[in-house]
Amino acid sequence: MSTDSPDSTEPFRTNQSWLFDSQAGTYLRKIVVGLATLLTAVFVLFPLYWLVVTAFKTTTEIQRIPPTIVPQNWSLQGFWLVIESSIRASGYKAFFENTLGIHISSAIDINVIGLIVSSLKVSIGAALVAVVFGTIASYVISRREFHGKNVLMILLLVSLMFPGPAIMVPMWELVSTLGLYNTHLVLILIYGAMTVPFVVWLMKGFFDEFPQAILDAARMDQCSSYETFRYVIIPMSLNSLIASFIFAFLLAWNELVFALTLLSNTKYTVPPGLLTFVQGFNVQWNAVAAASILVSIPVLIGLAYIQRYFVQGLTGGAIKG
Amino acid sequence: MSYADQTRSTYERTIDQIPASLRVYLPILPVVVLVGIFIFYPIVRAIYTSFFEKSFLRPNQAEFVGLANYAEIWNSSVIHQVLWNTFLWVTVGTLGAITIGFVMGWLLHKKLPYVSVASAIVLIPWVLPRVVGASIWQFMFAGSRGIINELLVQLGITDQYIVMLGSPALSLWPPIIGIIWRLAPLFALLTLTSYQGIDDHLYEAARMDGATPWEEFRYITLPMMRYNLAIGFLLMLIYNIRSFSMIWVMTKGGPGASSTTLPVMIYRTAFIDFNVGLASALSVLLLSVLLVFSYYYIRVYDKIQGEFQ
Repeated sequence: MSTDSPDSTEPFRTNQSWLFDSQAGTYLRKIVVGLATLLTAVFVLFPLYWLVVTAFKTTTEIQRIPPTIVPQNWSLQGFWLVIESSIRASGYKAFFENTLGIHISSAIDINVIGLIVSSLKVSIGAALVAVVFGTIASYVISRREFHGKNVLMILLLVSLMFPGPAIMVPMWELVSTLGLYNTHLVLILIYGAMTVPFVVWLMKGFFDEFPQAILDAARMDQCSSYETFRYVIIPMSLNSLIASFIFAFLLAWNELVFALTLLSNTKYTVPPGLLTFVQGFNVQWNAVAAASILVSIPVLIGLAYIQRYFVQGLTGGAIKG
Repeated sequence: MSYADQTRSTYERTIDQIPASLRVYLPILPVVVLVGIFIFYPIVRAIYTSFFEKSFLRPNQAEFVGLANYAEIWNSSVIHQVLWNTFLWVTVGTLGAITIGFVMGWLLHKKLPYVSVASAIVLIPWVLPRVVGASIWQFMFAGSRGIINELLVQLGITDQYIVMLGSPALSLWPPIIGIIWRLAPLFALLTLTSYQGIDDHLYEAARMDGATPWEEFRYITLPMMRYNLAIGFLLMLIYNIRSFSMIWVMTKGGPGASSTTLPVMIYRTAFIDFNVGLASALSVLLLSVLLVFSYYYIRVYDKIQGEFQ
């Protein structure tokens, strides 16, 4: 047994199998691990690679059989098609053709840029609703005792499980009773309701660990409870607040079911709009891929920020990240 | 009005009118109203409407039919096929996502450098808008031009171009692969987080006692992360049974009902066949399953966090 082994526990291993003792076993383990890494990496990354590559192919190259793995000539035709179709659909076609002398040849008319604008409106609105109401509620839940607190927290946790197809039919009934069909306002409220439990759980976790001494100090300096909240707690919890905001934003940005059933196509947000795009023009895959990349940009920026809070937020704080 | 009263603002004096025992509920009220109206009321409404014959086109004329909608679920062979598809979807999707996700999480923790960068990349399939993810897979499987079909031909597994999304026997499987691709990263991240939560001293002690890596895994890793894995398992079940976009984008549930699961069936019944009553009954079915999953979720949650204080 060698004495210069880097693993100091090695002398204590008595009942090892050949897999861990012999040279051949070591190679086998390395090969298996390497293969597993390769396979999962290909499984996760290849579709993403394919999306990017498709976006940069020309329309003629898309039609090729067999498909090319690497584009022969990188082109921005897909992105250009998206912009052209947005211009066409937004009704400025004449302006662009006559004044700027750009010929708009796209046969597609889906206003992708318009979709992004309405989605931004809905997602930011929903995230604001969720963060403002959720933070206030979670502060009180964290600091005070009251009747029904357990029931409230359990109901909020349970409410994370239901949204989506299971309640889309009664939601449609409710929304048409309220006369809010085809408005962005109702989506803001629904997404707000869907994401507020996330925010309450995330922020409650933060407030539970907030030192009481700081609040006492603020109290000694004659802060009212509102002033304490506004000038002490909000600045100190800014990171968690931003994470909650992005969390709610992403959920609203990606949600398809309610956007599809509660809007008509004049007011579509990104998910249902993209769906029409995919199903209406699925020969123009480079345009579809380009549009997909454009609408994914906010998501990727958001991911970088909230990665640390991801697990905690998603499981309602069951697993601390 | 006492001196103390005069220093208080109008806002605070208005608040003072409310009895102290109720004042604590005031900040919680918006959340309760929002979640109550837009999540819990629809659940009740679904149960109520499921007893009526109601058309999407004439929403004001509803006729009470008792359990007729449930009887239709019981008798319809299409719905039986849908339920079977849903069962397959949830079982295969969950097992696939858990297996691949666990391996990914293990690799991230034990074998790969730059954990935070790597896990951010791994998470991309999960955070990507669902329609985008689904359309990538549709494109990869599409018609005879799809890359996957090409791959199968090149590898010699088949010698012809099959239209997988258009074949009744195969159309359920491409979306399942898609949903595994979307959900596995999430389980990987849960696994990674659970691994990071285990104290290294436990492994050190086990090695001192002569434990093999397998025994370390079996007697330390698994017991330490069993509740976390249970949470992950339940989340996978819930996300799988709820998933709509992957199927809707790729196959619209067709051909026939061959790739229709419960959520897609609800959508088709309500917004294509306009049968709101039957769709509500199907919703109640889906809600009851979700309720069972939620119950266990709360149970496990309780185990991890202790009693709800």
